[in-house]
Amino acid sequence: MQTTDDFKARIKKAQDAMKEFGLGAIVLEPGAAMTYLTGVRWGKSERSFIVVIPAKGEPVWVLPGFEEMRARELIHVGDDIRVWQEDESPFALVAQALKDRGVAQGRVGMDDAARFFVYDGVRKNASMLDYVSATPALKSAGVDMSQPAGGRGRGKQ
Amino acid sequence: MNRRVFMAVAAAGAAGIAQDVPEAIRKLRPMLDGVVPITDAERRARIDKAQRLMGENKLGAIVLEGGTSLYYFTGTRWNQGERISAMVLPAKGNLVWIPQGADAKTTRMGGDVRVASSDEDAYKKIGQALKDAGAARVGVEERVRFGVFDGIRKEAPGVEFSSADAVTAGCRMIKSAAEIALLQRANDITIEAYRAAFATMREGMSNHELSANIQAAFSALGARGGAMAIFGKYTAFPHGSIAPQQLRSGDLVLIDDGVSVEGYQSDITRTVIFGKPTDRQRYVWDLERKAQDAALNAAQPGATCESVDAAARNVITKGGFGPGYKTPGLPHRTGHGIGLDGHEWTNFVKGNKTKIQPGMCFSDEPTIAIYGEFGVRLEDCLYVTESGPRMFTKQSPAIDQPFG
Repeated sequence: MQTTDDFKARIKKAQDAMKEFGLGAIVLEPGAAMTYLTGVRWGKSERSFIVVIPAKGEPVWVLPGFEEMRARELIHVGDDIRVWQEDESPFALVAQALKDRGVAQGRVGMDDAARFFVYDGVRKNASMLDYVSATPALKSAGVDMSQPAGGRGRGKQ
Repeated sequence: MNRRVFMAVAAAGAAGIAQDVPEAIRKLRPMLDGVVPITDAERRARIDKAQRLMGENKLGAIVLEGGTSLYYFTGTRWNQGERISAMVLPAKGNLVWIPQGADAKTTRMGGDVRVASSDEDAYKKIGQALKDAGAARVGVEERVRFGVFDGIRKEAPGVEFSSADAVTAGCRMIKSAAEIALLQRANDITIEAYRAAFATMREGMSNHELSANIQAAFSALGARGGAMAIFGKYTAFPHGSIAPQQLRSGDLVLIDDGVSVEGYQSDITRTVIFGKPTDRQRYVWDLERKAQDAALNAAQPGATCESVDAAARNVITKGGFGPGYKTPGLPHRTGHGIGLDGHEWTNFVKGNKTKIQPGMCFSDEPTIAIYGEFGVRLEDCLYVTESGPRMFTKQSPAIDQPFG
């Protein structure tokens, strides 16, 4: 069982890799990379649940407003949690998170497992950035991407 | 089986419940007689419509990985696996399949099959198929993985990629009579499973045990599915809590989920009292039912989707909760589209000005969440006809009567 310190160390290693690979941040959907780096397992649904891990600074969580209580049961790394309501855009919040962490130009690593609509939403809201695969940096940081995704939070209400 | 249900079943099994199937569940029999699968003629008509929509939306082709959209158009069930397989649907002409490995054996609806020997080869062949289609703009199915899209775009220089939703959702949002019949069956099975599972409730049981009983009931009815069960104050969390829960007299019990029949999903929620309700529980339950009714009545052809959300929310606000998404109140949209995905386009949500049309199917499920106390959600799905909305299932009539 990993501790919060373990996850912090993993994130630090990923941040070092981001600098090496020239990425200002990585954007992750629920899945193997999110689980490895933060311990959070969350079922993918059409409601975006995203963590932005910048090369410098604390992670930013972007998640559905009505899931906040349940999400807080699971999130132990990073306390910058930003919620979007049902008629709002999660991608505008991701764009703001990138800006707040000083990522205004250059390249951002996108989770290879992220779905096209997530990428499409983020790029429309932060169109000055280049989106590339996060995989080379994640692999270099030792992120285990073989673990099954899934977990709580399947959108079924 | 999703992970949550798997863990619930594992927990129930460890507690010795799986070996001891309750009588109410043991007497269930499969309910799949007479199910009529979607025909290839219907799938061909879907492909034709998709091609027409591509023309209208100036897309030269769309690209799909395995998933519900691919199944919708072709009947092919692929997993999104380690090895990349894809299908290109051009605006004109035949499908182009680019499968790897065993996926090559399961292509359907004709078309050109170009087997790839590696991911790199697959991306080259997809790029070539887009070139063959003469596509300057290409739609990408919403659940295609970024990594796959990234591989494709490198092999398709000069092509502009955008969402394929106008095409895929444009087709999938409007259900045929055959689709509505399959959804009806999935709903009927779900009600029978819930009925049997509610009969197994007893003081002290865990929410995992009730969840496992629902799943056992689905299985006995011949369908695959699971359900979450939430007790007491945790019913306020729309998707439950990881906190352990034992059933006590006076608890509200909320169950939510469904099954699939030929891929078509049900999604039903019941909230019921175990024991005697308090006045407050009854008041909130009755208000919830009024909100559900208001949404149903508002879901008329020609109305906007957001007006349905507003109708339910107004009832809840007038009843003393909210406003907006504020809790205690309704923290989420009133409903979602349903079909091959449990949640699909389009939604009863503020800002959605899409006009309701005959053939659309939605959930109607305004929750009232009161954190620290309890929550109530009643969820039935509806389909829209020329003359108005129809529920697939009879609504719950009262806090102590889950079935109408």
